[in-house]
Amino acid sequence: MTTTTNAAEDLADVDRVLAGDVQAFEGIVRRWQGPLVNMAWRYCRDRSRAEELAQEAFVRAWRGLAGWRRDSSFSTWLFALAANVCRSDLKRFPTVTVPVDEALEPSRPATQHHALAAQQSSDSVRRAVLALPARYREPVILFYFHEMDVAAAARTMGLPEGTLKARLSRARALLRSRFPHLEGEHEAMEFVELNTGKEAGR
Amino acid sequence: MKQTRTSRSEAQHNEIDRILATEDALVPSSGFLASVMDHVQEEAAAPAPIPFPWKQALPGAIVAVGAFGAGAFEMVRQGLPTASEFALTAPHLSVAMEQPLEQAGWVALALGVSLFSWLVSKRFAGRSGLL
Repeated sequence: MTTTTNAAEDLADVDRVLAGDVQAFEGIVRRWQGPLVNMAWRYCRDRSRAEELAQEAFVRAWRGLAGWRRDSSFSTWLFALAANVCRSDLKRFPTVTVPVDEALEPSRPATQHHALAAQQSSDSVRRAVLALPARYREPVILFYFHEMDVAAAARTMGLPEGTLKARLSRARALLRSRFPHLEGEHEAMEFVELNTGKEAGR
Repeated sequence: MKQTRTSRSEAQHNEIDRILATEDALVPSSGFLASVMDHVQEEAAAPAPIPFPWKQALPGAIVAVGAFGAGAFEMVRQGLPTASEFALTAPHLSVAMEQPLEQAGWVALALGVSLFSWLVSKRFAGRSGLL
């Protein structure tokens, strides 16, 4: 399904809802439930809470549908609304995290099975994102949620792109300082991939 | 084969990008859609909130703003009290003593505005069924 088709369908469904057809909202929920739940999941890393947050976002979208000014796409409006819901909720009930400096660092990959070490490393980095200060955490969450699209992340946060880039850069610096082993791991992976390629070429 | 060497920070940067960008997608639970639609249906079935009675409240608001404006204007006309007058020294009551009738007029106006506000509030409360 293309973005254009989605946008056209969203527009049609919104018009139907505003005309009084409550059931037309189901199409909107069906199309956006996956992205919204995943977005909320990245904020809290708790499945049931992510679904509650996504549900709250949909209910608020329903209430405020007439307020969508159509100067941006429906998805932009919906993501901004959902980000707002997640932000407010996490402000009231923060996730249990440890400071980024205290996040557990996995042992070096050379001592363990590669896949297991990579999995541990990934989990640690994702947990460390939640431990970042709020002003750096959200840009990271939204940047990767939007598949590294700075403009989309900036629109969702309602920030200028330059500000988002600056925060993102700072967040990455914090993560890099926390996980210095990642460089070695990266090189190790390159080595493994290179050798795998040579093996396959023989 | 010429192998390009990435810098330390770039390598880390790429690795962090790879980890954070390759997250498995979460599939919403099977009852999620139905649960959202139940909430939406409930919202739709709920009676609309009572709108604020601007039409009835407007005259009262205009009177209140007018009274406030007139009071402010009168204060400016008579000269604003200086900071020294607010000092914690003995209060100056001479003006009040000199113009008792004028002061009584202001008190009467204030009482009148209060009474009017009370009557308007009572009327609104009665209409909405709260009393």
